[in-house]
Amino acid sequence: MINLVRNEMLKLLRKKRLYVIILIIAFLVPLFTYAQFKEIQDQREKMGNQDWRTTLQQEITDTQNRLSSSRIQDEWRKFLKIRLSQQQYYLENDIDPRAPGAPTFMRIFVENSIDLLLPLLVMVIVADLVSSESSGGTIKLLLTRPVKRWRILLSKYLAMLLSISFIVLSVAVLSYGISGVVFGYGGWNMPLLTGFTVSGDELLTENVHIVPQWQYILMEFGLVWYVCMIVGTLTFMLSVLLRSTAAVMGIMLASLIAGAILANMVSSWESAKYFFMVNLNLTNYVSGMATPIEGMSLGFSMSVLAVWGIAGFIIAFVTFSKRDIY
Amino acid sequence: MSQIPALEVENLTKKIKGKQIIKGVSFTLVPGEVFGFLGPNGAGKTTTIRMIVGLISPTSGTIKIGGKNVRTEFTEAMRHLGCIVENPELYPYLTGWENLVHFQKMDSSIPKTRLNEVIELVGLQNRIHDRVSTYSLGMRQRLGIAQALLGKPKVLILDEPTNGLDPAGIREMREFIRQLAREENLSVLVSSHLLSEIQLMCDRVAIISKGAVLRTDSVDNLLAEQERVIWRAEPLSLAKEILSLETEVTEGPDDTLITLYNEPLLPDWNEKLVNAGVKVKEMRTQLPSLEDLFLEVTGGESID
Amino acid sequence: MKAVLKKYTLTVVSIVSIAATVLWLFGLGWTLQDQFSTNKKVSQFKEKTDSTSTEKQDGTLTIFALGDSLTRGTGDADGKGYTGYLTERLKEKTDQDINLLNTAIKGETSRGLLKQLQQSEIQRQAKQADVIVMTIGGNDLFQQGAALENLDNNAINGKKQIYLSNVKKIYTQLRELNPDAVIYHVGLYNPFSNMPDSKTTSSIVRDWNFQSAETAAGFNNIVYVPTFDLFQLQVENYLYTDQFHPNTEGYKLIAERVASLIKFEQEENES
Repeated sequence: MINLVRNEMLKLLRKKRLYVIILIIAFLVPLFTYAQFKEIQDQREKMGNQDWRTTLQQEITDTQNRLSSSRIQDEWRKFLKIRLSQQQYYLENDIDPRAPGAPTFMRIFVENSIDLLLPLLVMVIVADLVSSESSGGTIKLLLTRPVKRWRILLSKYLAMLLSISFIVLSVAVLSYGISGVVFGYGGWNMPLLTGFTVSGDELLTENVHIVPQWQYILMEFGLVWYVCMIVGTLTFMLSVLLRSTAAVMGIMLASLIAGAILANMVSSWESAKYFFMVNLNLTNYVSGMATPIEGMSLGFSMSVLAVWGIAGFIIAFVTFSKRDIY
Repeated sequence: MSQIPALEVENLTKKIKGKQIIKGVSFTLVPGEVFGFLGPNGAGKTTTIRMIVGLISPTSGTIKIGGKNVRTEFTEAMRHLGCIVENPELYPYLTGWENLVHFQKMDSSIPKTRLNEVIELVGLQNRIHDRVSTYSLGMRQRLGIAQALLGKPKVLILDEPTNGLDPAGIREMREFIRQLAREENLSVLVSSHLLSEIQLMCDRVAIISKGAVLRTDSVDNLLAEQERVIWRAEPLSLAKEILSLETEVTEGPDDTLITLYNEPLLPDWNEKLVNAGVKVKEMRTQLPSLEDLFLEVTGGESID
Repeated sequence: MKAVLKKYTLTVVSIVSIAATVLWLFGLGWTLQDQFSTNKKVSQFKEKTDSTSTEKQDGTLTIFALGDSLTRGTGDADGKGYTGYLTERLKEKTDQDINLLNTAIKGETSRGLLKQLQQSEIQRQAKQADVIVMTIGGNDLFQQGAALENLDNNAINGKKQIYLSNVKKIYTQLRELNPDAVIYHVGLYNPFSNMPDSKTTSSIVRDWNFQSAETAAGFNNIVYVPTFDLFQLQVENYLYTDQFHPNTEGYKLIAERVASLIKFEQEENES
């Protein structure tokens, strides 16, 4: 099996697509770094020459004032207290939450690329993994070896898994390395809030807690990897089903973009939440953003994605081992 | 035949969407023979070959390679098989060497030393570390054969091996195949649309049409059946008149008549012509080409 | 050589990818564990006391306001409070930029304020200030405006002693942080002066103010600003609907009084 996976990795590398992906990331990161840098500058200008500590102290005082009001709910009070300890941490450790270091940029970058950019990059790699063998005719040589078909497909799947890990790692390393030039490389220990759950219109804060940024980033990258694996598996299935790489890419591209559009307008169409593409934004659950459709949660989205992924995996393997190759 | 047949195909059928594509094909290859597979496009040649190499699963029937059933003992059967199905499609972005290593790694029984053996066998030593995309068609063909021979197979299946080669290449290929069969005791199954090639290359031929094998025999036997006599005589019309009373006559080119070769009756026919005052200028026998043979067997269905 | 290099790339990429897979799986597992397990304790971060820059901004007058809801401005329709009106008044009188830092918290007691003063950022701002204004004590005495029903002398005395000792500490702390800025401690008024018990309550508040002023007198440049007289008559005109906090007019009165004192200080400094 190791030999088979090694073969697949060799072909992947020789096709140069992995390098292209890394180049794309290396090109995009400076672009976003500059955009982020501009935004911070803009914010600074709006705030005038006031010290960020003063502004933050003001926020803390506001929070404390809200806390002292007797009319607030216990849950909300708890959330405010957590926010307060977060804000006070920033002050005490001299961290400007609005002037991020490279880790913060990394975080923002993955949070924004989890639903479209990264799935697209993954798709570029995975789309021709099987279909190129079909269209190039090499599948005939591949399948007339003394190796069972499912093993050949599994070796391709594992190569896909490895390359997805590699892409996600490249995103992490490149976004950290490049943005650090501008923002500095510190900020790993900055505290961040997580554990929000949304129920109906309400933001439940009973499980909110603080995690250091490095843990937060690791968690988000875990989710990004998960999303990429699901998108990868579905692309993989299409790559098995279709001979044409272009068709695979077309279908995946359409569904990913449809997902991005749907996420903005399906709040009333409840059953749309069972589509895989509206469930890609897993990091939103960690940072506590509103969900596109009521009733969605991290557990729900991960399960929906898992079901799609497992179905895609089974379809891919069953068709591949039974199919007649003409 | 006490040996296990190298390849045994028995009553193979394939139905696609309710349509019977292959209707009970059977044949056997003994070790060391070159077997030709002949038929027009759509006759089921390629489908049959793909079923043998495991790319298509048959609806019924059994295929045994070196005694191992392709369906139930796939990996064991495939160890005995080397093949090029249609064009030798290798990975163009890898070098020839990498391509071979790729396939060598897929079969743990192949030692790495085998790589150099096959490269030498097909004579690709000089270009083996170049990318396949820079290879000529002939070189790709040779690399394709190299990969097919990697596992020291008992059966080599070549689908249209001379397709796209120049005359020198075709000749080289033909000799190479014969050499392999002779020296390595390899059974080779060759399908080709170039019938002259089959004629020169093969020991035995199966003629396939519309999904069924019409005839299987040695090339010599098949041809002998169809041996003819060519007559040149004057006056031609009179000669034809007399001969057609005895046998079937067709007019050949250059004022000739063609009849079947029927040794005991030939002197009689000749005598009758002479008696009738026909001057027989020439009387010779001719072996027909496979094209003629094919037309004969399939009842007029053309190749290509 | 090239082939060797290529082979090397494959191995490196493969190993890195495997390591990355393990890392991301770990991250994913952590997410699941972190997001789906409940009853988390809010992790407290160790408080580090970094000394941060305290340079005073030249050309601006920094007013540092601290204390309770009065400084916050509760009851003012515009939410400015006396600090807001004070700033406005001062802006009319000077060309300097005025920077107001308001750290007041509703319901703050003297004990709470003392605690707040331990925070490094509050300390930093206190150091920066040119003028410090504060209100404190109202919540010690009135307890959200509800508890003056208990007019028991002993109870009130107890509260007062705690308050005075806290205030002393607050003064000391502020003076330590900033020896130069004048501190204006805005005193208490009696919001209940038109109620039946007004005689008793007024005497309590007067005494409270007196004791506070006495304490203030023990320090340099701490001015205890009386407001009792401002609200003594027509208190209902100057109170918000809660009958406890000042309304806009009430805040303006306080602001004017403090402003007049600051103006005096400025002129003295300039001369």
